[in-house]
Amino acid sequence: MKISPRCWRCLIVIAVLIVMAGLFGWYKFFRVEPQPAFANEEERFKYGSIGAENTRGLPYWIWVVLPRIFPEYVPGPGGYKAFGLVWEEGKEIPAGFSKQTIGFPRIANNCAICHTGTWRASPSDKAHVVAAAPSHTTDVQGMIRFLAKCAADPRFNGETITAQIKREVDLSFIDSLLYRYVLVPFTKNALLDQQKQFAWMNRPHWPDWGRGRDDPMNLTKYFMTSMPTDNSTGQADFPSVWNLKIRKGPGLYLNWSCDTPAVRSVLIDSALGLGAAPDPNTPFDRLIWKFQRHDWFLKRMEDLDNFLSEHPAPKYPFPIDANLSAQGQPIYAQQCASCHEVGGKYTNKPVSLAEIGTDRERVDTWTQGAADEANRRVKEFNIDRPNMVKIECYQSPPLDGIWMRAPYLHNGSVPTLRDLLEPVASRPAVFYRGYDVYDPVNVGFVTSGAEASRIGWKHDTTIRGNGNQGHTYGSNLQSQEKNALLEYLKTL
Amino acid sequence: MSTDPASGPARTRCCRSCWYVAGPLLVLVVLWAYIRFTRDRPVAFANDEDHFKYGSTGGERDAGIPYWVWRALPELFPEFLPDGKKGYASLGFIFDPSRPTDKDLPVGVSKRNVQGVDRVFLNCAACHVGTVRDAPTSIPRIITGMPANTVDLQAFERFLFNCATSEKFTPERLSYEMKALGTTDDFINRALLRYVALSLAQQRLIFLRDRFKFMDREPDTGPGRVDTFNPPKVLLNFRMDLLPEREWVGNCDLPSIWNQGKRQGMWLHWDGNNNSVEERNRSAAYGTGAIPPTIDRPSVKRMERWIHDAKPPAYPYAIDKALAARGEPVYREYCASCHGRSGEDFSGEYVGQVTLIDKIGTDRHRLDSYTEELCANQNQLYAAYPDERFSHFRKTNGYANQPLDGIWLRAPYLHNGSVPNLRDLLEPTSKRPAVFYRGYDVYDARNVGFLTDVAEENGKKYFRFDTSLSGNGNQGHEGKAFGTELPADEKEALIEYLKTF
Repeated sequence: MKISPRCWRCLIVIAVLIVMAGLFGWYKFFRVEPQPAFANEEERFKYGSIGAENTRGLPYWIWVVLPRIFPEYVPGPGGYKAFGLVWEEGKEIPAGFSKQTIGFPRIANNCAICHTGTWRASPSDKAHVVAAAPSHTTDVQGMIRFLAKCAADPRFNGETITAQIKREVDLSFIDSLLYRYVLVPFTKNALLDQQKQFAWMNRPHWPDWGRGRDDPMNLTKYFMTSMPTDNSTGQADFPSVWNLKIRKGPGLYLNWSCDTPAVRSVLIDSALGLGAAPDPNTPFDRLIWKFQRHDWFLKRMEDLDNFLSEHPAPKYPFPIDANLSAQGQPIYAQQCASCHEVGGKYTNKPVSLAEIGTDRERVDTWTQGAADEANRRVKEFNIDRPNMVKIECYQSPPLDGIWMRAPYLHNGSVPTLRDLLEPVASRPAVFYRGYDVYDPVNVGFVTSGAEASRIGWKHDTTIRGNGNQGHTYGSNLQSQEKNALLEYLKTL
Repeated sequence: MSTDPASGPARTRCCRSCWYVAGPLLVLVVLWAYIRFTRDRPVAFANDEDHFKYGSTGGERDAGIPYWVWRALPELFPEFLPDGKKGYASLGFIFDPSRPTDKDLPVGVSKRNVQGVDRVFLNCAACHVGTVRDAPTSIPRIITGMPANTVDLQAFERFLFNCATSEKFTPERLSYEMKALGTTDDFINRALLRYVALSLAQQRLIFLRDRFKFMDREPDTGPGRVDTFNPPKVLLNFRMDLLPEREWVGNCDLPSIWNQGKRQGMWLHWDGNNNSVEERNRSAAYGTGAIPPTIDRPSVKRMERWIHDAKPPAYPYAIDKALAARGEPVYREYCASCHGRSGEDFSGEYVGQVTLIDKIGTDRHRLDSYTEELCANQNQLYAAYPDERFSHFRKTNGYANQPLDGIWLRAPYLHNGSVPNLRDLLEPTSKRPAVFYRGYDVYDARNVGFLTDVAEENGKKYFRFDTSLSGNGNQGHEGKAFGTELPADEKEALIEYLKTF
């Protein structure tokens, strides 16, 4: 067939237009601008990308204006801060968030969303930020639900949201069209889709995570392995992630129920779960993953591993009675060390449910089938890491920086170390968690009173998965011995 | 397709000549419309001080009230003013006969033509220009940079809210009123106002009225005061219904704004929550309607340059030099380390630093109204403009020690304006007046402050300040270290010395 010169000209024009449209699309939606350099690895931990902006990144400006349009879905005055986020003075975004331009400015989470905490000596004290500490004030579930409620609201539309954005940014004509007709509708759909994926946690009368907790293995199960919803619920405390070098070694396990045998696996799986994974339904994203993000991601995990392995546990910030703590040392050695001292017989190792006697729900959320499926999926991403496992047990962690890891037990069901040394019947049945004023007398955070109940989340130990039974070691000690042991635990 | 061979060329010719006429006309119309509706022209002032008093921050672009509407409101709604016959002056706004243009607009109200419509709104001077009279019959001195001691901003807000929610606020009545005033708006502007802009303005005011309802649960500010940090919570749309009660009352005095250059790096605002003059200015500019995309940067920069070096006027009444000289060592001993060596030399160990609330002991409401939650959210303001993003705010636990330049013009004293004059401030709380009147601008040279015992003059009522109300407490800044236990002659000498600042 012969193509006329006129036709040729047409084809050339069309081809040029397609190329231009492609370039435009690439520039506006996929152009990657590296993040500005961070002053140190701790800053990078708190604000640096783990690669989640690609598939899970929200358009930054939409994210910024949502609490201003939908305050009724925020639990209190203060925008995102009302979800108990750690927000350092002078910082544009809270710790645990990372901002990066990929076509347009996006925001996503990183490890610090669950692993950076604060304490204050008194209500008028400033919040002291501790990187790698449990984010015991943060209501992750509340934030997820907030986004879903916004997306479902009719005011989540191009006109309303773009108008609010224009009060912050001088959007160009083209950008305001892109926000109005592309980014806002797209984000709305993505959030509504995500809401469906979270249907399992929104079942009626289902236990809430509350501040400082999530349901880690169900999250893994339903997101990484897309297994069908089952009847398990395993609310668990965010752990500290400092000083990980003492968690490494043959036969040592991580996660509350020894679900993973290696630090690197935990980091990789958690980061993939937070959104670093490629979107399996988008061939284009898989391609970018293969050629661009895969190597970057593994290097990022290596850097994180190095940082967290060496990052020290925080020192106890209040006075310690040296004599008393010296008296407590032998009690610790006798009562606690075999399970909690680094190198102890059971430290970082499985302890049977029958032995420990704590609430079993968390253990029941994970299965060998889920572990196998998760391992297979991760391999599909071309990542080689020690496999997840299933052991019917709870893990016995070392106690470095234990003062900053309250409330205690895997489900955060015991407010303070003093309560933990009491028999179950004497532990508080109801308390408030998520308030960051410290209680040096009982070693833990303040969990009662007007402010704790205003800010905090009510932990009811009678709710499924919240039980405070078990781990009654030391409850028979004399009161003076308990005081000495508590004093010693402050030194860890 | 068949065409009529005879009429074809004739019709083409006709069309063509039509286009010769219509084409350029269309271009002209489009060009005219473009120029008109993209117009953005502030009223310009040759003199920097005039620019500060009357110049635009850009706030009119978003928040501007059409000039003729501004003029018509007091005519149509005199019942919402303290004195309907006196218009905006009855709210304490200052009319300056020396204003180069627009003499019918008060100090602190700027004008800008946006999209072809003259619009007005407040600028920095609304809160930072005041007046002093030597005697009830004197002509007021208008002093740029001093606190706006007579202006009742809250009453102004309520006036606008009342207008907007009145059944009289209709395009027809306002249009009639504007016509009666002799509007110079052309046909297009009049039509735009009548059919579009007035209902938009009404919506906007009702929106603001609803957001600012929090004002109703705190005592009235009265003239010369403002709640600084609850309005930003409202603009960020915090849930005010869930605000803890301790945050409710943020009422505090308007400050002077001279010598900002020397204040750079000091902790600014009453509670010392920010140490960047420029950022503090951008924060204050929200009050003039200027938001990140609309703030007029060159214009604000010019205002900043002016307040960088502006000086307070010298105390205009007699000073007993010998007595003042005896006051100087007293000042050095008791005041200088927190308030600077003099009215010009701001050096001192604690100047610009925060004194903890337990030590200063003054009313804590203003302190408590600023919170970590607000601070966190402020960090995202101006985030689209990296060099301007707010990053200097912090939560403190006390009040900042300020230099005392022009202190004679900064009465009443303390952050909440709860102590009428310097003489009262040197007395313990029990001897300070529990109730007094604010907003009166006749000077009290004996006590150093304004006269505060005048409840009414020529029909104008002044604001009754009750120190027993929430946020109005006049306690604190007292005890030996604060000079309230000095012997009477030393107090006298100290007061005389402070007049030299």
